[in-house]
Amino acid sequence: MYTKKWSLVAVVAVLAMLVVTSCKPAVQTVVVTVPGEAREIVVTATPPKPTRPNILRVNLGPGDVPTLDPALATDTSSIQIIDEITVGLTRLDEVTLELKPGMAERWEASEDGLTYTFYLRQGIPWVRWNGQAVEQVLDEEGNVRYVTAHDFEYGIKRTCNPDTASDYAYVLAFAVKGCNELLNAEGWAEKTEEEKQALIDGVAAKALDDYTLQVTFTTPAVYNLNIIGMWVAHAMPKWVIEERGDRWTEPGFNQSYGPFTLKEWVHDSYLTIVKNPFWPGFENIPQPAIDEIKFTMLDASAAFAEYEAGNLEVAGVPLADMDRVKADPVLSKELVIGTMACTYYYGFNTSKPPMDNVHLRRALSLAIDRQGLVDNVLKGGQQPAQWFCRPGMAACPTPEKYPDLGVKYDPEKAKAELKAFMDEMGYTDVSQIPEIILMFNTAEGHKRIAEAISQMWKEVLGIQVTVTNQEWKVYLKTIQQDSPHVWRLGWCMDYPDANNWTREVFAIGGHEENATQWRNEEFTKLLEEAALEKDPAKRQDMYAQAEQILVWEDAAIAPIYWYTRVTCTKPYVNRTFSQHGYEAFEKWSLQP
Amino acid sequence: MGRFIVRRFLWTLLVLLVLSLITFALTRAVPGGPFDREKKLPEEIIRNLEAKYHLDEPYWKQYLRYLNDVFIPIIAKGEPKSLLEESLIDIKLWDDYHLRWINLGPSYSSRSRTVNDIIREQLPVSTQLGVVALTIALLIGVPMGIIAGLKQNTIWDYLGMSIAIFGVSVPVIAMGPILVWVFGVMLRWLPPTGWGAQPPYILFFIPRDLSWNFWRYVLMPAFALGLGQSAIIARLTRASLLQVIREDYIRTARAKGLPERLVVLRHALRNSLIPVVTVLGPMFAAIVTGTFVTEQIFGVPGLGKYFVTSVTNRDYPVIMGTILLYAIFLVMANLVVDITYAWLDPRIRYE
Repeated sequence: MYTKKWSLVAVVAVLAMLVVTSCKPAVQTVVVTVPGEAREIVVTATPPKPTRPNILRVNLGPGDVPTLDPALATDTSSIQIIDEITVGLTRLDEVTLELKPGMAERWEASEDGLTYTFYLRQGIPWVRWNGQAVEQVLDEEGNVRYVTAHDFEYGIKRTCNPDTASDYAYVLAFAVKGCNELLNAEGWAEKTEEEKQALIDGVAAKALDDYTLQVTFTTPAVYNLNIIGMWVAHAMPKWVIEERGDRWTEPGFNQSYGPFTLKEWVHDSYLTIVKNPFWPGFENIPQPAIDEIKFTMLDASAAFAEYEAGNLEVAGVPLADMDRVKADPVLSKELVIGTMACTYYYGFNTSKPPMDNVHLRRALSLAIDRQGLVDNVLKGGQQPAQWFCRPGMAACPTPEKYPDLGVKYDPEKAKAELKAFMDEMGYTDVSQIPEIILMFNTAEGHKRIAEAISQMWKEVLGIQVTVTNQEWKVYLKTIQQDSPHVWRLGWCMDYPDANNWTREVFAIGGHEENATQWRNEEFTKLLEEAALEKDPAKRQDMYAQAEQILVWEDAAIAPIYWYTRVTCTKPYVNRTFSQHGYEAFEKWSLQP
Repeated sequence: MGRFIVRRFLWTLLVLLVLSLITFALTRAVPGGPFDREKKLPEEIIRNLEAKYHLDEPYWKQYLRYLNDVFIPIIAKGEPKSLLEESLIDIKLWDDYHLRWINLGPSYSSRSRTVNDIIREQLPVSTQLGVVALTIALLIGVPMGIIAGLKQNTIWDYLGMSIAIFGVSVPVIAMGPILVWVFGVMLRWLPPTGWGAQPPYILFFIPRDLSWNFWRYVLMPAFALGLGQSAIIARLTRASLLQVIREDYIRTARAKGLPERLVVLRHALRNSLIPVVTVLGPMFAAIVTGTFVTEQIFGVPGLGKYFVTSVTNRDYPVIMGTILLYAIFLVMANLVVDITYAWLDPRIRYE
């Protein structure tokens, strides 16, 4: 009898503690069955008043936000914040990836498709957080400073200026006329002020009046409108930058004009942005429904603990917690696997024997069981990749339309390709194949993938590769200077067009030319033409052809998977799920 | 004693100089640079970046430039023109003239911050955590060691040493998440992550507000960090006490008829603390400059992270800054240890 009584007391005590300590306001009636006793106890707690503040708390990931300067930002945390406090001339719809008007209300192109005239929205003021509230910025005469075409002209020219030393300037350099000449100017430091000014004036971004901006591009490429909406081409406040120098992005100094504005930035700890009441709101960029967003800078496990403690509304799920979250009745309902515009792939050094034989490269690529890898190793619902360009990007082939394009797991075909390779080389046994080195940068995740794939190669083809790793920066140097037979890399979107993928990475002169040692004239020419093709269906076909060359005909790389983002969101958050990784928080709201 | 300190101070300068040279050479010798990215930057951008940070100059010039920025005080007029000219110590002299000293340079990975900022903002947080953790370590470790030592081979001894073994064997990386889970997520008594103190601080690190809002954040990480250290202290105290208690001067003290309490407190304990104080020096330097794992698990915005990420990012000025800072703490802590010896043991004198 005693034990029963005590167990009852214990259950009630624990329950009372949970009710007291829990922040969930929904607890009203809890029914508990006491083990060994044939009755139920009903505990009723008074429902607390719904006093949830209209504040969203989101984790950005470990480490300080590197910068809030649009000209200097390169990483996802910085770009996420910049995209919420400033808006480009054009803006992507984060769900459909369609190009929509941003600060430019409309635009028109010249006959030759090179020059665009952007007509800006009027009456949007520069704002700042003054310590108590968001206020409009005034100029020397006491008038409200509105965002003008001059601010955009200044922003574009600032990014192209070698003194700014912008990492991402190269995107504008190949798209905007005159930017490359400025960025690449020989002997810039020794030039006179007049020479420098002449080069700056040469950048073809001109404010015709306060609300009309004319930009001339180098080619009439279809993705130009995407590039001109990127963060490096946002309006920048010249007067603050000139007064405060590199410190202009700090809270108190920072000025912005987007749906939110910077309130607080405690380095390495958190950053908050508040609703900008002066943002008028448009169809695709409404006035925010949320008053304030707090971004924490936590490690994935720490952030998930905060989420479970009810201190974060959105958090990524760490791989180690994946199985538990999927099995948990509450958490599994809050779990969403969204897409992320990145591709994970293995590259081949096509000049290093034995990888100089296309049949061997195809055999290795065909022998990778991508679905098996996702199910057993990655566990994040990733999509097996048949080619490089992430479906969803403009003009990228989609698996629905091109189900048989590219490369898929096919052990029989892989063995046939291996046989073709061995016949060509005159080998009679796989042991005669010279050593193949598979290298990755030191990280637990990459290691598990490399081990799984080398195991697949062993099982399907009988080829034993040497798996090795290097520290990140050493690895980057290695694959640029003397890449191993097989190496890994990932690619994430800068702007959602196939050009940013297939061409910028693998065409002649592309990012990974040194690593693949692969130069295909036909492939490059096809992509140059595709950049200018106006008909979307035809254009997509051209990229499909190019992908077929890249991953099958020449098999310069083996695509592995397309990334996903695994996050949990509290049920009281109404949200959109971004397809490109940057959220449009102005479209989110919190239920009271 | 005065001459001893001056001599040690001069040695410190030499140590820092040699250390900075070795660190500089190592950072430049390791393959990979600060601007190597997964998305390879075009040559001209890297050239622009290297020119901005003077990385295009010959190594000897880069090194001398660094030494000059760090060690030589300057008197300058007006505000610094850019981040690159800001200093850790900036004293207004007269009119518009400033005395500036110790410019540790910019951070290549956080482009609107300098190493001075990182040390100014992150070091106090690590120091707050470190001081509390070390206090916990001493409060648990020393009494536990004394009891175990005095009651050798009794249940107290075994119990104390079992706890010590447990403390040494369970690392923060296991202990931390368990604490977060139990007290942060399940019971919700303490916030799982975060920090409760904000600048400005008294004496560079003491928070103005020492209320529960500070303690509720500091308790878990400090306990996780302190427990492992307390185990080391306890074992050392016990071993040393057992040795001292057999010394002749203890027998003399007892023979004089001193009460056992005074024998232990005045004679045995004081001498037995010498090995403990010896390890406290480096322990203090290591803990108050930041601990990577603890700060990561508990989301503490301290300096520990920068010791690791600066190397993986090849962020040269941050590597140099954190290493020099750690060296200064180590040398200073050891100096204090040496001075404490003389106070603890009358046989030690520095003349």
